[in-house]
Amino acid sequence: MKDFLKQNGILILIIALLLSLIAAVLSFTFGGMADPFANLAGMVSTPFRNGIHTVVEWAEELYSDAFEREQMEQELEALRQENARLRAEAREGEAASRENERLRDLLDFQQKHTELRTEPATVTARGSSNWSSTLTVSKGSASGVEAGNCVIDQYGNLVGIISEAGLNWATLLTVVDVDLEMGGLIARTDEAAILEGDFTLMGQGKLKLSYLPQDTRLLAGDTVLTSGLVSGGTAAYPSGLLVGYVAEVRSDAGGMSDYAVLTPAADLETLEQVFIIKEFNVVE
Amino acid sequence: MTRKDFIVKWLAYALALLPIWFLEAYLLSRYPLWGVKPMLLPLCAIAVATLEGATAGTGFALAVGVIFDAMDPGVPGAMIFIMALLGLGAGLLSQYVLRQDLVGCFLCSVLALVVMDALRIAVRLLMGTAPLRPMLELAGKEILWSLCFVPMVYLVFRWVFHRVPKATVL
Repeated sequence: MKDFLKQNGILILIIALLLSLIAAVLSFTFGGMADPFANLAGMVSTPFRNGIHTVVEWAEELYSDAFEREQMEQELEALRQENARLRAEAREGEAASRENERLRDLLDFQQKHTELRTEPATVTARGSSNWSSTLTVSKGSASGVEAGNCVIDQYGNLVGIISEAGLNWATLLTVVDVDLEMGGLIARTDEAAILEGDFTLMGQGKLKLSYLPQDTRLLAGDTVLTSGLVSGGTAAYPSGLLVGYVAEVRSDAGGMSDYAVLTPAADLETLEQVFIIKEFNVVE
Repeated sequence: MTRKDFIVKWLAYALALLPIWFLEAYLLSRYPLWGVKPMLLPLCAIAVATLEGATAGTGFALAVGVIFDAMDPGVPGAMIFIMALLGLGAGLLSQYVLRQDLVGCFLCSVLALVVMDALRIAVRLLMGTAPLRPMLELAGKEILWSLCFVPMVYLVFRWVFHRVPKATVL
């Protein structure tokens, strides 16, 4: 300890404390924007991140080509069959849609539509912390990305919410993160509940649908959408984005209430391309 | 030790840190085991503190803390000071209580990981954002999985330690 004091160890500790305080103050001051330290670190590491990402992708593709060919062929066949089924359903749906339009016109309702202004981005890194589920994407405040923006995949499934935006990068909390909480809507029953992350489920890549209305009867495979509501009742997220599917219903530790375990619709493990919703206009 | 020696020495440690950081951030984070990813950066700080002692260990842990803080979306800034304290603790323990070898590094790593996760759990409990049991389960798995990497991290830094000037004078 004497050596430590003699060799300016206390000075290092004081520097550490000051840096901690500066980082904390800057973080709170900048809100959803990355503070200068994090911004600089993100900007410097972005080219490395992109390079490593490209190499890892290439290696994974090589592996898939070499060892997963049979599985991919089976998946292709299953997708072809599903495609045929969905085409048939779409043909039936078209007639219903036209009828709906006519009825809306008769009642003088505004046509239902969703307008999303999106920014495409690439996932360049996955969070290494076990205490959160984050992704880093290749677009930041220079492209108009802000904290609070919703992120979807190429199929329109909700991926998460931007939590911090740097100049040429942004971090998003995925739907399974424990700090994410938003309104959910069970599509089949039109009932509202709360979507939230859970430490036990996060490791399995799943999330919770809690505060289920009494007497709700959920079925495995039920789809859950965003309700567009967050605490305070302000619509901060577009409604109708597909969040996930009900996998099972469990009771909480006290056995007093039930919650549903959801499998996210977006494949968070293999996700590469995402779209950041910068603005939206939803007419129900 | 000359100023040049000093710079070369810490540059060598920084270069040794880079591949481990990349391994943690860009490779192991893609392939979690039982849903858990190992924490390698704190192990780097502890390994250097074990080998170099309290003062140099605190300085290196401070630098690692800055990187860790930028990567970890926890309480902003907290990890910088906590890592510096952990570096100091590991340096003192290995210098005066344990030995400056793999066993000493392993024991210091266990303590450091337990302290870090205990703080994380305490913060979340205080904020009331999560129940205790799942957090304890997660912390347990995280610590066990991370400890598997202690020998590798220690050997990398010991290799550097034997090739750089020894005494650090600030």
